[in-house]
Amino acid sequence: MTALTIDRINKRYGNLHILKDISIPIAQGEFVSLLGPSGCGKTTTLRCIAGFERPDSGRILFGVRDVTHALPEQRDIGMVFQSYALFPHMTVAENLSFGLEVRKVSVADRQRRIAEVLAMVRLEGYDKRYPRELSGGQQQRVALARALVIEPSVLLLDEPLANLDATLRDEMRFFIRDLQQRVGITSIYVTHDQAEAMVMSDKIVVMSAGTISQFGSPREIYERPVSQSVAGFIGRSNTISGKIAEALGQDSYKVETPCGSIGTTGPAGLAKGAEVKIMIRPENIRTLRHDAGISRQQRAGEAGHGDNALTGAVVNSIYQGSANQLAVKLGSGDRIVVDVGGRNPLDVGEQVTLRFAARDTWLLAS
Amino acid sequence: MSAVEAAPRVEGRSNRGTATWMVVPALVLLIGFFALPYLTIITMSLREASTRAVYGEGFTLAHYTTALGDFYIWGILGRTLLIGATVTVISLLLGYPVAYHLAKSRSRWTSLLYIFVLSPLLVGLVVRTFAWMIILSNNGVANQALKATGLIDFPLQLMNNSLGVTIALTHVFLPFIILPLLGNLQAISPDLAMASRSLGASRMRTFWKVTLPLSMPGIQAGTILVFVLSISAYVTPAMLGGTGGRTMSVLVVQYLVDNFRWPAGAALAIIMAAVAVIFVGLYLRLTARAMRRLP
Repeated sequence: MTALTIDRINKRYGNLHILKDISIPIAQGEFVSLLGPSGCGKTTTLRCIAGFERPDSGRILFGVRDVTHALPEQRDIGMVFQSYALFPHMTVAENLSFGLEVRKVSVADRQRRIAEVLAMVRLEGYDKRYPRELSGGQQQRVALARALVIEPSVLLLDEPLANLDATLRDEMRFFIRDLQQRVGITSIYVTHDQAEAMVMSDKIVVMSAGTISQFGSPREIYERPVSQSVAGFIGRSNTISGKIAEALGQDSYKVETPCGSIGTTGPAGLAKGAEVKIMIRPENIRTLRHDAGISRQQRAGEAGHGDNALTGAVVNSIYQGSANQLAVKLGSGDRIVVDVGGRNPLDVGEQVTLRFAARDTWLLAS
Repeated sequence: MSAVEAAPRVEGRSNRGTATWMVVPALVLLIGFFALPYLTIITMSLREASTRAVYGEGFTLAHYTTALGDFYIWGILGRTLLIGATVTVISLLLGYPVAYHLAKSRSRWTSLLYIFVLSPLLVGLVVRTFAWMIILSNNGVANQALKATGLIDFPLQLMNNSLGVTIALTHVFLPFIILPLLGNLQAISPDLAMASRSLGASRMRTFWKVTLPLSMPGIQAGTILVFVLSISAYVTPAMLGGTGGRTMSVLVVQYLVDNFRWPAGAALAIIMAAVAVIFVGLYLRLTARAMRRLP
């Protein structure tokens, strides 16, 4: 069932077209991230859903209810802000009570629900504190509790973790995701942090310049991006330009490149001769010393990676602790970034063979 | 601080020592031009009256007992406080919406509104008061306009009473409440109002429960400024007040200059100052309760 429908909304500020025909269907209980660089329209979209901005055209439905012209206070939303936006002159309990008082919930019910939600965010005993007496992480948990205690139909989160330090941010990602799944509330999460969107979301809306670049699960967006900009925005990627030489199946192609012929996977329906870019993620490439004697077993073990082989020279090597990142320059001049696990046995200047499977590649329209 | 950072090792002098020295100029000014004159006035108010000098030889409390036993002076004191309170309340009611609008507005006309707000201070005191006389006198602009529209047959008494003083003081002191309020309102994150409305509160409820309580420091600062300035104003009540709108400041000057009663005038000035301190002190205690939960 569709809990929230954004139907072709447009928003202009003067000459600026901020949102161009944005449509997003969101199912009940889904966690959807709006991901993109600043100025892409993600926050404006969220504000349209909240009611703080009114789209120039298009509709917003909560279930079957058209809320396009409803005021924020009539929409039944819970909202969490980057700045936490806790009322500084109220205690934690009073902050939580605010939305319940508006809804005329009885004193006894208020107390019960506040206690429940405080337990949920693991802040029992903090009810009499003022926001200024809490750490950033605690304040954000109170903000989350305040949004959830009114049991809204949609939870809107506007970069809620951006003000927290890295360690706490990682912790809060899982905390929020876990809480969201336990409560089962439909949630929309605005972020510019792709890692955050990847680990938290059921679906990601990748936005750029007021349009939706791609809408799909984190896996689809990571493995099957629709464009080079999406591929570049989510994780690291390498691209090699080429032309379709032959369609081998519905979604597999042979691509002619300056480095030779490469077996690839791509969207169905690409025509022979079409200009494409082959995307390969750094972690899907195996690196072998070019002239080293490779045992039979090793060769057998590489079978899955053996579909394609390119040769080049290591031009850069960065130690990252858990892995090493190598930059390899191919004969064609393309630079390919490769992850090499464990201790790095390869030095700058060494000749290497890069192996990767056709199924680990994806073709992007050029 | 910058001086300290620029020369960090000058004879190992501590930050604290340097900072103390830096208040000296202000302190000298304060003692020389505020504390000493006040002490002189207090001393003068305790001297005996004299016809040959500003004050006589001996000391006496008579000026205070006479003043405090005089119903006429009590009346003027009451009127002064009433004018002060009225000006303060009206300025708050008029100024708050302006400050609120200025704090929220992102229009490019905002800077024009700023100039409007400051305009009463851009015109000289005497000129401004004369302008009010032209407007408020019996055959002034206001009365003629009212007569022309047929609303009145006889001119309304708009000056030479408390009304005229109140109108003119409100006009000139409006910026003194708008500016502190504006600073306060601008410091309140707009996210708070959004959070309130997302929780289901209407604009009205958001204002009463969130914005207004958080703007109490601005209200407090602005109202105290306007009140203190109003009760101590001299030129405006002197020119527009006549006898019906005479305030303590006017009376004090009359004692000193017209009647040459320096010790009695000094006593009146001290009484006025003491009353102002008491009222502001009470007001601070009252408003502090409303602000005790603010950070």
